[in-house]
Amino acid sequence: MSGIEQNTPLALELRNVSKRYDNGTLANEDVNINVKAGEIHAIVGENGAGKSTVMKMVYGLEQPTSGSILLHGSPITLNDPRAAIAARIGLVPQHLELIGSFTVAQNVVLGSEPRRGLWLDKRTAIERVREVSARFGLEIDPEARAADLSVGEQQRVEIIKTLYRGARLLLLDEPSALLTPQETDKLFSALRKLVADGVTVVLITHKLAEVREVSDRFTVLRGGRVTGSAPSRQVSDAELAEMIAGRQLPPLQVQRVQKRGEAPLVMVRDLTVQRADGRVQLRNMSFDIAAGEILGIAGVEGNGQSVLADVMGATRSVDQGSISVAGQVFNGQGARAARAAGLTLIPEDRLRNGAAVDMSIAENVIAADYFKPPFSRRGWLDMGAARQTARRLIERFGVSARSADVAIGKLSGGNMQKLMLAREVMAAPRVLIACQPTRGVDIGAAQSLRKELLALRDAGTAVLLISADLDEILELSDRIAVLSQGELVAHFAADAVSANALGVYMTGLARDEGAAAKLDSGFTQQTTRSHA
Amino acid sequence: MSSLFFDNANAQSGRREALRLTIAIGAALAIGFCITLAVSDEPIRAYLALLTGALPEFEWSHAQGWQVHRIVRFGSVIEDAITLSFLGLAILIPFCARQFSLGADGQMFLSALAAAAVSLWIGGPWYLVLPAALLAALTIGFLWGLIPGLLKARFGANEIVTTLMLNLIAVQIYRLIITEVLRDPHAGMIATPTLPDSALIPILVERTNVSVMLFAVPFAAFAAWLFLMRTTWGYEIRVVGEAPDFARQTGMPVARAMILSMAIGGLFAALAGLHISNALLKRLPVDLTPGIGFDGLVVALLARNDPKNVPLTACLYAYLRVGAQAMERTADVSREVVLVIQAFIILFVVAEGLFAGWYCVSPAGIWQRWRRTGKDVLEARQ
Repeated sequence: MSGIEQNTPLALELRNVSKRYDNGTLANEDVNINVKAGEIHAIVGENGAGKSTVMKMVYGLEQPTSGSILLHGSPITLNDPRAAIAARIGLVPQHLELIGSFTVAQNVVLGSEPRRGLWLDKRTAIERVREVSARFGLEIDPEARAADLSVGEQQRVEIIKTLYRGARLLLLDEPSALLTPQETDKLFSALRKLVADGVTVVLITHKLAEVREVSDRFTVLRGGRVTGSAPSRQVSDAELAEMIAGRQLPPLQVQRVQKRGEAPLVMVRDLTVQRADGRVQLRNMSFDIAAGEILGIAGVEGNGQSVLADVMGATRSVDQGSISVAGQVFNGQGARAARAAGLTLIPEDRLRNGAAVDMSIAENVIAADYFKPPFSRRGWLDMGAARQTARRLIERFGVSARSADVAIGKLSGGNMQKLMLAREVMAAPRVLIACQPTRGVDIGAAQSLRKELLALRDAGTAVLLISADLDEILELSDRIAVLSQGELVAHFAADAVSANALGVYMTGLARDEGAAAKLDSGFTQQTTRSHA
Repeated sequence: MSSLFFDNANAQSGRREALRLTIAIGAALAIGFCITLAVSDEPIRAYLALLTGALPEFEWSHAQGWQVHRIVRFGSVIEDAITLSFLGLAILIPFCARQFSLGADGQMFLSALAAAAVSLWIGGPWYLVLPAALLAALTIGFLWGLIPGLLKARFGANEIVTTLMLNLIAVQIYRLIITEVLRDPHAGMIATPTLPDSALIPILVERTNVSVMLFAVPFAAFAAWLFLMRTTWGYEIRVVGEAPDFARQTGMPVARAMILSMAIGGLFAALAGLHISNALLKRLPVDLTPGIGFDGLVVALLARNDPKNVPLTACLYAYLRVGAQAMERTADVSREVVLVIQAFIILFVVAEGLFAGWYCVSPAGIWQRWRRTGKDVLEARQ
């Protein structure tokens, strides 16, 4: 606390706040956070470090078990979000919640509409939204339909919504998670303008670069406790990472491999997939992956990534084109045939199709091979063998779980994800499709997952990495292809492209006509435009 | 065996679940008493009839020593519990694959018919007749369960609709065959001839129809558990039920698991059919009332997807049913009120969130929880 000058007023102060949930989980213990008026304050920490609980308490969704929350120096009790809004606190959630068929103005005024008699006063609503957006420099067309906006714009609408309700303290939960680098830049400059206007911003993030780029000061949480707090410009990324993880995390040393000209293991040619209504979801996609190589697919989510994953995992059929592994075409034969051909997949949504969350770890790790020995003998399931395998994987992948009989859904995201990967690694795949392999996973776990992917590559597996995390794509891929609106629009060699340049192609500002990611296709010549 | 049956990790949640059930039933009974208060002139006597009417009465006199009364009534509790256990299992197994199959009624009718027909045709010593009747019932139950499964897998036909329709068809087939083929011309009613003695399942308790089928109940529940938890097919069924997308992703034969779950359910309904024809009724009347399959549904719901619970919930349900008849007969309360009380119990037990976590309760805690539950709902909506 010594770093705070005596004369700076505090906008928000958490004093010795602890929170114990009913099930006994201690989410926060003796947390002290000081947010000065008119600053951008980052709260950083791994998943499960207690960041969200802090946010929930400040927004009135949870109440502290002990300790107090002070707003502008006076203690305040926040029993529900209504109280928080009345105290001029606003929250921009991670998953945006606009009503798609409403206009921007309608979304913003929702819940506190200007009326004329019984009717919604549309004109006043539009005017007021325009007023707020002009005042804070957040450009938006109040009459546009929310569903037509990009994710970045939708987020802007959420911010305007809180400001319209009079927020002077803005809470943002992982705001850059779904944004391209360009959109992130725009968001950050908007936040700086807000701060200049006297608004205080509290930002939850786990991206180290962001902490240093946008925030004035930060507080680190680990295991529910504050482990550090300092002005952002005084620490290096490495120091910050150490504070967050509680140990030193040496950066990954990634050796690139060069497979050009070699025979591909996976060959995808002219892949086209249409929806039942005829809309094209993937168009004329061609790419190769050699054994022992990682091909990264970069792109804003919703541009065909999940369709690509489904098609590669053979849970969805192909309309045109072919997918072959080692010269054998396998599309149209079902997921089990794909697995038999040595192709495995880590799905992006581990809660939906990556695991049966209410079943035990042992029952989950055998899900791909349960019908074969040693797990099944003459139709009987050998749960002993399943448990043994589960215990082996738990140990080998450093999963923290009490036993193999715990329901897998009770584990943290990182531990669950480790088991997803473990299950596929166990099958010694020739091809691995990894979709968002480290999403929602803490730094330490993410790094060990990435190491496993690299180890798998070095053992000769062809890896297709589909990720929305550009840093991950840049760090791991030997070649990078950009997917935009169902088409490959660029193809780069590793270390030959920046995140910003990728962003230009991801958002469709530039495209390389007829780009393909075959082993013998050329690389995209980068345009000089870098910003819109 | 005990370590096989009770995973350690589940022991605690099992205890909690039992406590939750007790609270739910207690609350429902309390509401039931309030209703009785409103409709009856002698509510306490009426309510006692509901709660204890199904029990046998023991009486001691110098002249005759111990005497047991109402043994018939208690016998019918056990008889009902046996039927309901099988029907509960018949519904529970498709449940585990997330199939809302309501076909237990039809499966039971046709398998009872098959068992009776085979018993009448074959004759001979019991060690021939009974296995043959059992086999016939199981075959028919399995096949009749297979149909909605195939319809769903092949044509995407909703299993709720198809099983309900198949129930109607099955009941009509049953009536047709009894009227036209198996009718006993000497009987004063439309029914099959009485089954030969060798085809009857041995009775355990005099003056009742409690037969050795009683011993089959724990065995059947254990078999269902073993099938679900310890076989490859059972595993498929559970994964398909818990997470269909995940099952598809790993390449499991989802359609097969679905079909199989319904057909295996049919096997258990067949046991109920055999019990009805060869132990309870000993001949099949044309006007056997359909609908008991839905009581099986309630038993399955109460057992919450765990076959080990089925015999217990079936007993509970049968006890309530017989108690209800006693209340209706001995007090001024109509059967409808009893049905209302039963419905409350089911409602309370099935509404999972209602009493979750009221284990170490204080009044303040209850209030806190109530407020928080509301907030969770709000949050979930956000």
